[in-house]
Amino acid sequence: MSAGAARRGPGGSVWLQGLVCGAAVALATPCTVLAGLLLAPGITALLLEREPGRPAARVALLCGAAMAASPLVALWQAGQGVGGAITAASDSTLLGGCWAAQGAGWLAAMLAPLFVRLALEAHARATMARLRAERSRYEAEWGIPPAEGG
Amino acid sequence: MAVSPPPDDANILIGGVYAVDVARPLPGAGGGLPAFAATDRRFPGRGGLMAVQSAPGAPPRAMALNALAGWTGAEMLAPLAYGPARGAQGEPAWFVVSAAPPGPSVAATLRPWGELELLECVLRPAATVLAALQQRRITHRAIRIDNIFRLGPGASVVLGNAWSAPPAQHQPTLFEPPYSAMCLPSGRGDGTIADDIYALGVVLVVLALGRLPLEGLDATAILRRKLSLGSQAALVGDDRLPPAISDLVRGMLAEDPEHRPPPALLAEPALARARRVAARPLRRGQHPLDLAGGQVWDARTLAHAIATDPEAGARLLRSGTVDRWMRRSLGDSAVAPRLDDVVRQRGLDGTADDVGADALLTMRAVAVLDPLAPLCWRGVALWPDGLGAALAAAEVMGEPLGNLLAERLRDLIASEASGNWAAIRPERSDAAMVRAETRTRRALLRLRGWSGGLPRLRYALNPLLPCSSPMLAGRIVARLHDLLPALEAAASRPEARRERPIDREIAAFIAARHDQRFDGELEGLADATSPERAMLMQLRVLAGLQRQVEGGALPALAGWLAEQAAPALDAWHNRARRAALEHAMGEAARFGQLAPMLALLDNAAARTADGRGFQAAGEAVRRIDAELAALAGGGAERHETARRIGHEAVLGVAMMAVTVAVVAMLVS
Repeated sequence: MSAGAARRGPGGSVWLQGLVCGAAVALATPCTVLAGLLLAPGITALLLEREPGRPAARVALLCGAAMAASPLVALWQAGQGVGGAITAASDSTLLGGCWAAQGAGWLAAMLAPLFVRLALEAHARATMARLRAERSRYEAEWGIPPAEGG
Repeated sequence: MAVSPPPDDANILIGGVYAVDVARPLPGAGGGLPAFAATDRRFPGRGGLMAVQSAPGAPPRAMALNALAGWTGAEMLAPLAYGPARGAQGEPAWFVVSAAPPGPSVAATLRPWGELELLECVLRPAATVLAALQQRRITHRAIRIDNIFRLGPGASVVLGNAWSAPPAQHQPTLFEPPYSAMCLPSGRGDGTIADDIYALGVVLVVLALGRLPLEGLDATAILRRKLSLGSQAALVGDDRLPPAISDLVRGMLAEDPEHRPPPALLAEPALARARRVAARPLRRGQHPLDLAGGQVWDARTLAHAIATDPEAGARLLRSGTVDRWMRRSLGDSAVAPRLDDVVRQRGLDGTADDVGADALLTMRAVAVLDPLAPLCWRGVALWPDGLGAALAAAEVMGEPLGNLLAERLRDLIASEASGNWAAIRPERSDAAMVRAETRTRRALLRLRGWSGGLPRLRYALNPLLPCSSPMLAGRIVARLHDLLPALEAAASRPEARRERPIDREIAAFIAARHDQRFDGELEGLADATSPERAMLMQLRVLAGLQRQVEGGALPALAGWLAEQAAPALDAWHNRARRAALEHAMGEAARFGQLAPMLALLDNAAARTADGRGFQAAGEAVRRIDAELAALAGGGAERHETARRIGHEAVLGVAMMAVTVAVVAMLVS
């Protein structure tokens, strides 16, 4: 990021995102409507998440995008209007699949750090046990006093 | 001369052949010391032997005992053997074995002897013995009427025992020249054969008179009388002696030992009688000088008064009173200037309140006033060769006199007073030799640690003085090779095993009896900074001794040392090595060999490796502790890492899903 962009701060990015969204609404209203309906949980998460970088929302949106890509392309190619978009979104299978994918992505984003942490803690405990055993060996062999509190 | 091993039981044989029968005391035979009948195990039926017991702190005369090896004359009770044995109370003591006296002492039935009997039965045989002693460069120093024996009327006298105590220690003032009588009894030194001639002269006077002259006077009064009148006048007075005896005694009692006839001349009384030596009469002052609670009339009594009361003497010397009296009343223009020099020297030696400088002043003044006088130092008079016996006597004298005497003697040695004294009277002593001896003694005194000081000097100057360590209680240890067996015996006493085997006295004893190989260790024993280092030094010394004396196994002592080696073993860091060492020490101790124990403990390469290993282990432990601390305190960091990795991984999977969906759509 340039020094000028850094000075502009996140406001510049928001403005750009708004411009893109506005352009999309103006140029491809049906696709925007369909995307908005299919990606509603992800968009909501994006708005509500306070964690820097909003990782869970991003994952949820990406998972939703993977499911929504095909109906959006089909809507674009069919040249249907907003009504077609609403009709497509009313397909419960499509809408449920999209929302479920986003939920699964959000859940994965929440659980993955916990699992990684469990793995790291287990490794740390194993290392500490090995080090304590090594210290005990030195204590026994050389008469070194045990560690305080150990 | 045969020397026996230390006593292990009551049946010890001195010299391997002589047994002491303490149940049969021989009163009056030991020249002032307890004497017992002795038997020669080679000839059990033959009697006529005695063993004279030495007193504690008064060891036998080593030089005389060695010089008299092979003596065959019958006119003296010469030593046959010496060694330790048990006394009447079971106490260990030195004994000197000799022939028993042939009969009672001449003091037993005192009567006037005739001239011929004195010449033939006393003077001639005694002079012959003294001539032989002179040839061997030793003196008797115990010639007095209760130590001269004879079989019966008409028989020649036999000189008694003189070897079981320091020279002249038991001589009464009556039989000693003034310059010897004024000394500490233990500090009279070997003297010269002229001193024996003097004592023999007194014996002649006593036997000729048939009574003790000056009877009823105490020692101080006898000494003052001898000093003021001269010995011959003091002893004989107005009494009449047989003419020949009178002539002989005049020479034998001469104040100056150089004026006395030599023993070889006395063996021919006719020649000795004809000998005339002109002695300068004593100059007497016109008026007396008040000093030391009395009046002095001449230089010799003045010297004695100053020696007796050095503080008052120093005051009079420094105030010029003595100088004025010497010049005006005594009129001695030869001595007065020398005395003036001595007083001037006092000003250079120290300040007005310097006690040491005052002691030097009085010591020099006495030497100037009476060149015959002994070394007089702060109220103590002795001859330099009597220093060793004086130190030994101070050790057993007890508080507070012993301590006071020891302090005076220490001061005397430290200030090199003997050298100064000899330098003032060079015509009377070998100043260079005395000075060299003085410096050697001072160097020993100043040696740091346990290998120096008064104990070292005491043992160095008394070759037969037993070690006085309480560790060796009940044993006589006078020679180095007696020490280890004594320590082996001490190791059986539980109370002894609480201490280390070598204490201050034993260290000084070893240093004095040994060459200088162990000086470093012995010096360090005093200020060993750690018990481990002290133990190693002790073991090193004792192992060296065991190797040197080629003694047998010492399992008890080795066990004692193994117990004491705990601090030395604790200094090893490696536990496995320490356990192995403990085991090996126990094994070596069982065989009673100290050198292998020392090799186990005193292994520099192994100790270095142990130290390095311990250092490396310490570093490793510090690294481990740091890692453990980092792991224990790294929870937050791990949490952040887990969050970052988890999110990135899930994000990657999601992006992959998007990519797959897009690719699948494009393909379809």
